[in-house]
Amino acid sequence: MDPVTAMYVAQGIHGLAYGMILFLIASGLNVIFGMMGVLNLAHAAFFMLSGYLGYQAVSLTGNFWAALLLAPIATALCGVLMERFLLGKVHAFGHLGELILTVGVAQIILAAVKGIWGTENLSLRMPPILEGQIALAGLNYPIYRLFIIGLALVVMAVMALLLYKTRLGKIVRAAVADAGMVNALGINVPLVFTLVFGVGIWMAGVAGVTIAPILTVFPGLADQVGNDAFLVVVTAGFGSLGGAFVVSIIFGLLSSYGIQFVSQFAPILVVAFTGLVLALRPHGLFGTREG
Amino acid sequence: MKAALAGASLFAALFLIPAAYAQAPSKAGFEVKDMSDMSDFDPANTVVPTGDTIKIAVVASFSGPAALVGQVYWASISWVAHDVNKRGGILVDGKKKLIELIKADHQSKPDVTKKIVERMVLQEKVHILWGTDGSNLQKIINETANKYKVIAINTASLSDDLQDATNFSRYAFQSSMSADQLGRAHAYYYGQIRKKEKKFYILCQDYSFGHVLAEGFKKGMKEYYPDAQIVGEDYHKLFLTDFAPYLEKIKASGAEVVFTGDWIPDAANLLKQARQMGISLPFAHVFLDEPNFLHEVGVEGTKGLVQISQYGVEGAAFKTPEQIKYYKTWNDQWRNKWKTPPFNSRLFEHGAGNIGSYIQQTYWLLDVMARARSTDPEKIIQIWEGDSYRFINGKVLTMRPCDHKAVQDLHILEFVPPDQQKQSFNIPPYYWFQGTSAAGPVHTIPAKVVLPWMDPKLDRCKGKNPAG
Repeated sequence: MDPVTAMYVAQGIHGLAYGMILFLIASGLNVIFGMMGVLNLAHAAFFMLSGYLGYQAVSLTGNFWAALLLAPIATALCGVLMERFLLGKVHAFGHLGELILTVGVAQIILAAVKGIWGTENLSLRMPPILEGQIALAGLNYPIYRLFIIGLALVVMAVMALLLYKTRLGKIVRAAVADAGMVNALGINVPLVFTLVFGVGIWMAGVAGVTIAPILTVFPGLADQVGNDAFLVVVTAGFGSLGGAFVVSIIFGLLSSYGIQFVSQFAPILVVAFTGLVLALRPHGLFGTREG
Repeated sequence: MKAALAGASLFAALFLIPAAYAQAPSKAGFEVKDMSDMSDFDPANTVVPTGDTIKIAVVASFSGPAALVGQVYWASISWVAHDVNKRGGILVDGKKKLIELIKADHQSKPDVTKKIVERMVLQEKVHILWGTDGSNLQKIINETANKYKVIAINTASLSDDLQDATNFSRYAFQSSMSADQLGRAHAYYYGQIRKKEKKFYILCQDYSFGHVLAEGFKKGMKEYYPDAQIVGEDYHKLFLTDFAPYLEKIKASGAEVVFTGDWIPDAANLLKQARQMGISLPFAHVFLDEPNFLHEVGVEGTKGLVQISQYGVEGAAFKTPEQIKYYKTWNDQWRNKWKTPPFNSRLFEHGAGNIGSYIQQTYWLLDVMARARSTDPEKIIQIWEGDSYRFINGKVLTMRPCDHKAVQDLHILEFVPPDQQKQSFNIPPYYWFQGTSAAGPVHTIPAKVVLPWMDPKLDRCKGKNPAG
């Protein structure tokens, strides 16, 4: 492959990898906000918390895979506790109550990580097997970024299977569509929602550990990624996991090719795309419900 | 007679004025022999005096994402205060007064900065505003200082426009280096000292500091390295998640050096992702020196980095017994006494680099006040304008009178593996850090080639050359 072609191909793969990073962060938010309609502004904070828990797990075990398994579960448990004991009490006040509560929880998480791990910048090392580059059609590409793409695809596939091919998924979709009817059928709807919330936070947790090796784990990590996640969810449309997947890829490619060809305008492209989509389709590109 | 006068003026212009801004011997300077016993100092447990004190507001991020920065400043300035207080304080306004430090947390937000700084002045009645990270925030500090006629010292913000015609205040002093200087200093190093690489890629953060730094570099390259090429130039948003597209462009450009002014976390993520992508190019940088993340990247990944320093010294870092004693005083405390994070981390191990600079800049401030024998801002200004001060490491700074910017030599540090760090760390164990490349060869960039930018529109500076 000639160098120029190689560069353009590489930018495409970078866009895909960045898109998958966005998808990993946004997918959990899409589940919580998109499906349950819960405005969870602490989502990015849980993502950050998982990064810290992942760092701690690696420090204790020396094993990245253990961190990838344990940290999201621990983060999800924290999310479940928030949903069970706090969010439930403010549902009656609508989105405003959820907004205020989750902003508060985000601040508590921020204070907690600083209190436990301090203010220093921490690093989570990737596993040795994923270090280095691999030759890909004449291109040398970082193995870890291919892992991120693969993991995001696996998450997407598992979520799709769960939602559309299992009884549990049917119950979740029914409860989201009509909680009263599902409740009347004897299904514990609050438990279902807690489970969905926990899965959403778990997905944020997976994102936190997965992305940490290419970023710095520090108290500002939540702010660094939070806005992007919301943009994906809003542009894709609430409740559409597939839509979030597609939009993440679009954002990733806009970002990488934008930087390649019009770098001074690259940050604007994503926002401009969002504006255009919402102007033409206020419910988002694949939206199925009101925001 | 006229010819003799003309000749003398020419002689002065050519030789004396630049010489004055070289390493001019200064009577005012830090003296190790006067230092107190610092064995009871712990930045996590500082003792704050009360009563009739000299109050200094330490305006910084003590909470939020940049909280570590505030802690770095706190450790630096409280070291100085502890030392001076143990000596009995400073004789000002007719009596000896101790130094009282007050934390003023601006949370990295402009609106909070305005409120907290006004509270410091109006309620706490501080004599000095000591700041800060973020030139946009330092601007607010300087404006408040000007409004209420309180002295402000800028030890850390690097924007040149802080002291330009629009923003200048007689009460504000910039003892830190500045962005334009940094860029030109790097260019001078590559063009006049190293003379090796010829292709440079500029990748900076897309805000005022990043642009000014890059402009300084380009200006310097034209002057000191006209044969060199800028093969690419990009400005990325702050707190960028993915640097890969920029790094791909850099790879394709044929660049031999990447010039960046990025700070943490962008600096850390940029270097980390570059090495993960197999890009081993050296970075000419300002802030790629946080030891914890450098250890993460490792010795090979950090080899060849080139940093500009405002606390450097040519060759060996420790040339006199006093310098060794000063270093060991800090290092022994870190090693034996400080147990509270983050002060027990590698970041605080040596008390050199920016920490060393903040400490010495603060000693300068207090020395000026001692010579003024007053907390009266007008008397402090009178002493400080044109004043020179010698740091413990031998570096001399001079406060340019017309715009209150510090004229100083800068230094370039070349990062080398531990077995080569003896070139600068010339006492046992003969390395700065074992797990990362760090300073080895250190080169001086003379003050006369990196004089801070002077705004020609500033009335006080009209008719003056950049040497003052």
